[in-house]
Amino acid sequence: MEGHQRNLYLYERFNARVLGVSRDDVITLAYFAKSLDLTFPLLSNVTAFLGVYFDTQPEGRPIFGRRTVIIDKKGVIRYVRDGSPDFKDILLFLKKLNQEGGKP
Amino acid sequence: MKRKGLSILCLVLVVAWLSGCATTETTKKPYKLSQQGTVIWEDEFEFLPPPPGWKLLRVEAGENDINFGFMREDPGPFPSVTTFAYDEEPFGCTPGFEKREKEFFKRFLFNAILQFQILEKKKVQVVGGEGLAVTVEGKDPIKKEKVRAKVVFGKRGDRVVGFYITQWRPMDASYDLSAFEIFDKFVTSFKFLKKSFYETL
Repeated sequence: MEGHQRNLYLYERFNARVLGVSRDDVITLAYFAKSLDLTFPLLSNVTAFLGVYFDTQPEGRPIFGRRTVIIDKKGVIRYVRDGSPDFKDILLFLKKLNQEGGKP
Repeated sequence: MKRKGLSILCLVLVVAWLSGCATTETTKKPYKLSQQGTVIWEDEFEFLPPPPGWKLLRVEAGENDINFGFMREDPGPFPSVTTFAYDEEPFGCTPGFEKREKEFFKRFLFNAILQFQILEKKKVQVVGGEGLAVTVEGKDPIKKEKVRAKVVFGKRGDRVVGFYITQWRPMDASYDLSAFEIFDKFVTSFKFLKKSFYETL
Protein backbone atom coordinates (compact mmCIF):
# COMPACT_ATOMS: atom_id res chain seq x y z
CA MET A 1 0.00 0.00 0.00
CA GLU A 2 2.87 2.36 0.75
CA GLY A 3 4.17 1.62 -2.73
CA HIS A 4 0.93 2.87 -4.25
CA GLN A 5 1.06 5.96 -2.05
CA ARG A 6 4.62 6.69 -3.23
CA ASN A 7 3.47 6.35 -6.83
CA LEU A 8 0.40 8.59 -6.63
CA TYR A 9 2.13 11.42 -8.50
CA LEU A 10 2.94 8.99 -11.32
CA TYR A 11 -0.59 7.58 -11.40
CA GLU A 12 -1.78 11.17 -11.68
CA ARG A 13 0.57 11.69 -14.61
CA PHE A 14 -0.96 8.67 -16.36
CA ASN A 15 -4.57 9.68 -15.56
CA ALA A 16 -5.03 6.78 -13.22
CA ARG A 17 -6.58 6.52 -9.78
CA VAL A 18 -5.96 3.85 -7.20
CA LEU A 19 -8.20 2.38 -4.57
CA GLY A 20 -7.92 -0.59 -2.29
CA VAL A 21 -10.57 -3.09 -1.35
CA SER A 22 -10.57 -5.19 1.78
CA ARG A 23 -12.93 -7.27 3.85
CA ASP A 24 -11.90 -5.33 6.94
CA ASP A 25 -14.41 -2.99 8.48
CA VAL A 26 -14.31 0.79 8.03
CA ILE A 27 -12.81 1.54 11.44
CA THR A 28 -9.96 -0.93 10.88
CA LEU A 29 -9.28 0.51 7.45
CA ALA A 30 -9.30 4.06 8.78
CA TYR A 31 -6.70 3.08 11.36
CA PHE A 32 -4.68 1.22 8.73
CA ALA A 33 -4.73 4.22 6.38
CA LYS A 34 -3.73 6.57 9.17
CA SER A 35 -0.87 4.35 10.31
CA LEU A 36 0.59 4.33 6.79
CA ASP A 37 -0.37 7.91 5.89
CA LEU A 38 -2.41 6.70 2.93
CA THR A 39 -4.46 9.33 1.12
CA PHE A 40 -6.19 7.21 -1.51
CA PRO A 41 -9.53 5.49 -0.80
CA LEU A 42 -9.75 2.11 0.86
CA LEU A 43 -13.08 0.40 0.38
CA SER A 44 -14.52 -1.83 3.05
CA ASN A 45 -16.35 -4.79 1.58
CA VAL A 46 -17.27 -6.98 4.53
CA THR A 47 -19.90 -8.85 2.54
CA ALA A 48 -17.15 -9.84 0.07
CA PHE A 49 -19.14 -9.45 -3.15
CA LEU A 50 -16.24 -7.60 -4.78
CA GLY A 51 -13.90 -10.44 -3.87
CA VAL A 52 -16.28 -12.89 -5.48
CA TYR A 53 -16.61 -10.63 -8.53
CA PHE A 54 -12.84 -10.36 -8.94
CA ASP A 55 -12.27 -13.99 -7.97
CA THR A 56 -10.10 -13.18 -4.99
CA GLN A 57 -12.23 -14.76 -2.30
CA PRO A 58 -10.78 -18.10 -1.24
CA GLU A 59 -13.51 -20.42 -0.07
CA GLY A 60 -13.92 -20.53 3.68
CA ARG A 61 -11.41 -17.77 4.40
CA PRO A 62 -12.28 -14.40 5.87
CA ILE A 63 -9.85 -12.40 3.73
CA PHE A 64 -9.32 -11.67 0.05
CA GLY A 65 -6.39 -12.97 -1.92
CA ARG A 66 -4.03 -10.25 -3.06
CA ARG A 67 -4.68 -9.12 -6.60
CA THR A 68 -4.04 -6.00 -8.65
CA VAL A 69 -6.58 -5.12 -11.31
CA ILE A 70 -6.43 -2.25 -13.79
CA ILE A 71 -9.70 -1.15 -15.33
CA ASP A 72 -9.77 1.29 -18.22
CA LYS A 73 -12.18 4.19 -18.58
CA LYS A 74 -14.62 2.02 -20.49
CA GLY A 75 -14.79 -0.40 -17.57
CA VAL A 76 -12.77 -3.09 -19.28
CA ILE A 77 -10.38 -5.07 -17.11
CA ARG A 78 -7.00 -4.70 -18.81
CA TYR A 79 -4.56 -6.06 -16.26
CA VAL A 80 -4.73 -8.69 -13.53
CA ARG A 81 -1.81 -9.88 -11.41
CA ASP A 82 -1.78 -11.88 -8.21
CA GLY A 83 0.51 -11.48 -5.25
CA SER A 84 2.54 -8.46 -4.19
CA PRO A 85 2.13 -5.64 -6.68
CA ASP A 86 4.89 -5.24 -9.24
CA PHE A 87 4.92 -1.46 -9.22
CA LYS A 88 7.23 -1.03 -12.17
CA ASP A 89 5.07 -3.35 -14.25
CA ILE A 90 1.96 -1.46 -13.18
CA LEU A 91 3.49 1.91 -14.06
CA LEU A 92 4.67 0.74 -17.45
CA PHE A 93 1.21 -0.64 -18.17
CA LEU A 94 -0.48 2.59 -17.12
CA LYS A 95 1.93 4.61 -19.24
CA LYS A 96 1.11 2.44 -22.25
CA LEU A 97 -2.61 2.67 -21.58
CA ASN A 98 -2.41 6.43 -21.25
CA GLN A 99 -0.53 6.70 -24.53
CA GLU A 100 -3.18 4.57 -26.23
CA GLY A 101 -5.87 6.88 -24.88
CA GLY A 102 -4.06 9.95 -26.18
CA LYS A 103 -4.12 8.80 -29.80
CA PRO A 104 -6.58 10.66 -32.04
CA MET B 1 -8.70 18.60 -37.95
CA LYS B 2 -6.99 18.26 -34.74
CA ARG B 3 -8.82 16.25 -32.22
CA LYS B 4 -8.39 16.86 -28.64
CA GLY B 5 -6.50 13.96 -27.15
CA LEU B 6 -8.57 11.78 -24.97
CA SER B 7 -7.24 11.00 -21.62
CA ILE B 8 -7.67 7.60 -20.17
CA LEU B 9 -9.01 7.28 -16.72
CA CYS B 10 -7.65 4.08 -15.43
CA LEU B 11 -8.40 2.50 -12.16
CA VAL B 12 -5.81 0.54 -10.37
CA LEU B 13 -7.84 -1.65 -8.17
CA VAL B 14 -5.98 -3.36 -5.47
CA VAL B 15 -8.13 -6.14 -4.27
CA ALA B 16 -7.11 -6.81 -0.73
CA TRP B 17 -3.70 -7.23 0.67
CA LEU B 18 -1.88 -9.86 2.60
CA SER B 19 1.51 -9.72 4.10
CA GLY B 20 4.20 -10.82 1.73
CA CYS B 21 7.91 -10.50 1.38
CA ALA B 22 10.41 -12.25 -0.72
CA THR B 23 13.74 -13.62 0.24
CA THR B 24 15.76 -15.33 -2.38
CA GLU B 25 19.15 -15.36 -3.95
CA THR B 26 20.35 -14.79 -7.48
CA THR B 27 22.53 -17.21 -9.38
CA LYS B 28 24.11 -14.61 -11.64
CA LYS B 29 26.45 -12.15 -9.99
CA PRO B 30 24.83 -8.73 -10.06
CA TYR B 31 28.11 -6.85 -9.64
CA LYS B 32 31.58 -6.37 -11.00
CA LEU B 33 34.70 -4.75 -9.60
CA SER B 34 36.17 -1.63 -11.12
CA GLN B 35 39.88 -0.97 -11.42
CA GLN B 36 39.51 1.65 -8.69
CA GLY B 37 38.36 -1.02 -6.23
CA THR B 38 34.73 0.03 -6.25
CA VAL B 39 31.78 -2.21 -6.96
CA ILE B 40 29.55 -1.61 -9.98
CA TRP B 41 26.18 -3.03 -9.06
CA GLU B 42 23.96 -4.02 -11.99
CA ASP B 43 25.52 -1.15 -13.98
CA GLU B 44 23.37 1.15 -11.89
CA PHE B 45 25.24 1.92 -8.68
CA GLU B 46 28.87 2.36 -7.77
CA PHE B 47 30.20 2.17 -4.23
CA LEU B 48 33.10 1.26 -2.03
CA PRO B 49 32.50 -2.25 -0.65
CA PRO B 50 33.17 -3.19 2.98
CA PRO B 51 36.39 -5.07 3.79
CA PRO B 52 36.54 -8.91 3.72
CA GLY B 53 34.44 -10.55 6.41
CA TRP B 54 31.20 -8.91 5.36
CA LYS B 55 28.70 -11.15 3.59
CA LEU B 56 26.57 -9.92 0.73
CA LEU B 57 22.93 -9.66 1.63
CA ARG B 58 20.43 -9.55 -1.17
CA VAL B 59 16.69 -9.47 -1.03
CA GLU B 60 14.67 -9.74 -4.17
CA ALA B 61 13.02 -6.47 -5.06
CA GLY B 62 9.49 -6.24 -3.81
CA GLU B 63 7.30 -4.09 -1.70
CA ASN B 64 9.33 -2.64 1.14
CA ASP B 65 12.35 -4.83 0.62
CA ILE B 66 15.90 -3.59 0.53
CA ASN B 67 17.93 -3.71 -2.68
CA PHE B 68 21.15 -5.10 -1.29
CA GLY B 69 23.42 -4.87 1.68
CA PHE B 70 26.12 -6.47 3.75
CA MET B 71 26.17 -8.39 7.01
CA ARG B 72 28.82 -9.24 9.54
CA GLU B 73 28.58 -11.55 12.53
CA ASP B 74 30.35 -9.79 15.37
CA PRO B 75 32.24 -11.40 18.26
CA GLY B 76 30.12 -11.97 21.36
CA PRO B 77 26.86 -13.67 22.24
CA PHE B 78 23.59 -13.37 20.33
CA PRO B 79 22.45 -11.01 18.87
CA SER B 80 25.87 -9.57 18.00
CA VAL B 81 25.49 -8.77 14.34
CA THR B 82 25.83 -5.73 12.07
CA THR B 83 23.95 -5.19 8.84
CA PHE B 84 23.88 -2.30 6.42
CA ALA B 85 21.95 -1.80 3.23
CA TYR B 86 20.86 0.44 0.42
CA ASP B 87 17.10 0.73 0.08
CA GLU B 88 15.48 2.24 -2.99
CA GLU B 89 12.10 2.35 -1.28
CA PRO B 90 12.54 3.11 2.42
CA PHE B 91 9.45 2.94 4.61
CA GLY B 92 7.12 5.90 4.26
CA CYS B 93 5.82 7.86 1.31
CA THR B 94 6.62 11.55 1.69
CA PRO B 95 9.29 13.08 -0.53
CA GLY B 96 10.43 15.48 2.23
CA PHE B 97 13.10 14.22 4.61
CA GLU B 98 11.71 15.46 7.92
CA LYS B 99 8.29 13.87 7.51
CA ARG B 100 9.74 10.80 5.83
CA GLU B 101 11.99 10.23 8.82
CA LYS B 102 8.96 10.09 11.11
CA GLU B 103 7.12 7.73 8.75
CA PHE B 104 10.21 5.56 8.46
CA PHE B 105 10.71 5.07 12.18
CA LYS B 106 7.10 4.03 12.62
CA ARG B 107 8.01 0.82 10.83
CA PHE B 108 11.77 0.43 11.04
CA LEU B 109 12.57 -2.76 13.00
CA PHE B 110 8.85 -2.92 13.69
CA ASN B 111 8.89 -6.57 14.72
CA ALA B 112 11.43 -5.88 17.44
CA ILE B 113 8.97 -3.51 19.19
CA LEU B 114 11.59 -1.00 20.26
CA GLN B 115 11.32 2.56 21.46
CA PHE B 116 13.95 4.54 19.61
CA GLN B 117 15.86 7.39 21.10
CA ILE B 118 17.38 9.83 18.63
CA LEU B 119 21.07 10.25 19.39
CA GLU B 120 21.92 12.57 16.51
CA LYS B 121 20.13 14.15 13.57
CA LYS B 122 21.93 16.27 11.01
CA LYS B 123 21.87 17.38 7.40
CA VAL B 124 24.45 15.68 5.22
CA GLN B 125 25.57 15.59 1.62
CA VAL B 126 24.73 12.27 0.00
CA VAL B 127 24.48 11.00 -3.59
CA GLY B 128 25.24 14.46 -4.89
CA GLY B 129 22.64 16.35 -2.93
CA GLU B 130 21.32 17.23 0.46
CA GLY B 131 20.27 14.44 2.80
CA LEU B 132 19.39 13.70 6.38
CA ALA B 133 21.29 11.37 8.72
CA VAL B 134 19.63 10.09 11.87
CA THR B 135 21.38 7.97 14.49
CA VAL B 136 19.15 6.16 16.97
CA GLU B 137 19.33 3.59 19.71
CA GLY B 138 16.59 1.18 20.65
CA LYS B 139 16.44 -1.04 23.71
CA ASP B 140 14.43 -4.11 24.60
CA PRO B 141 14.57 -4.52 28.38
CA ILE B 142 12.65 -7.82 28.22
CA LYS B 143 15.02 -9.59 25.87
CA LYS B 144 17.94 -7.58 27.23
CA GLU B 145 19.00 -6.55 23.75
CA LYS B 146 19.79 -3.22 22.17
CA VAL B 147 20.41 -1.86 18.70
CA ARG B 148 22.22 1.18 17.41
CA ALA B 149 21.18 2.29 13.96
CA LYS B 150 21.96 5.07 11.54
CA VAL B 151 19.70 5.96 8.67
CA VAL B 152 20.72 8.29 5.86
CA PHE B 153 18.01 9.63 3.60
CA GLY B 154 18.94 10.98 0.18
CA LYS B 155 17.20 11.79 -3.08
CA ARG B 156 17.19 10.01 -6.41
CA GLY B 157 15.17 12.18 -8.72
CA ASP B 158 11.92 13.03 -6.93
CA ARG B 159 12.06 10.04 -4.62
CA VAL B 160 13.67 9.42 -1.28
CA VAL B 161 16.17 6.58 -1.01
CA GLY B 162 17.73 5.28 2.17
CA PHE B 163 20.88 3.78 3.57
CA TYR B 164 20.86 2.18 6.97
CA ILE B 165 23.00 0.26 9.37
CA THR B 166 21.85 -1.70 12.39
CA GLN B 167 24.12 -3.12 15.04
CA TRP B 168 22.55 -5.48 17.56
CA ARG B 169 24.11 -6.25 20.89
CA PRO B 170 23.22 -7.82 24.24
CA MET B 171 22.21 -5.03 26.61
CA ASP B 172 25.48 -5.04 28.56
CA ALA B 173 27.80 -5.24 25.52
CA SER B 174 29.42 -2.30 23.81
CA TYR B 175 28.98 -1.24 20.20
CA ASP B 176 31.72 -1.47 17.61
CA LEU B 177 31.66 1.99 16.05
CA SER B 178 34.24 1.05 13.41
CA ALA B 179 31.40 -0.67 11.53
CA PHE B 180 29.64 2.71 11.32
CA GLU B 181 32.76 4.19 9.75
CA ILE B 182 32.68 1.44 7.11
CA PHE B 183 29.02 2.24 6.52
CA ASP B 184 29.81 5.95 6.20
CA LYS B 185 32.43 5.19 3.56
CA PHE B 186 29.89 3.06 1.70
CA VAL B 187 27.35 5.88 1.75
CA THR B 188 29.82 8.63 0.88
CA SER B 189 31.15 6.65 -2.07
CA PHE B 190 27.71 5.74 -3.39
CA LYS B 191 26.90 7.01 -6.90
CA PHE B 192 24.06 6.52 -9.32
CA LEU B 193 25.38 5.54 -12.73
CA LYS B 194 22.10 6.05 -14.53
CA LYS B 195 18.65 7.47 -14.07
CA SER B 196 16.22 5.46 -12.01
CA PHE B 197 13.27 3.68 -13.54
CA TYR B 198 10.96 6.35 -12.15
CA GLU B 199 12.97 9.18 -13.70
CA THR B 200 12.66 7.61 -17.13
CA LEU B 201 8.88 7.26 -17.08
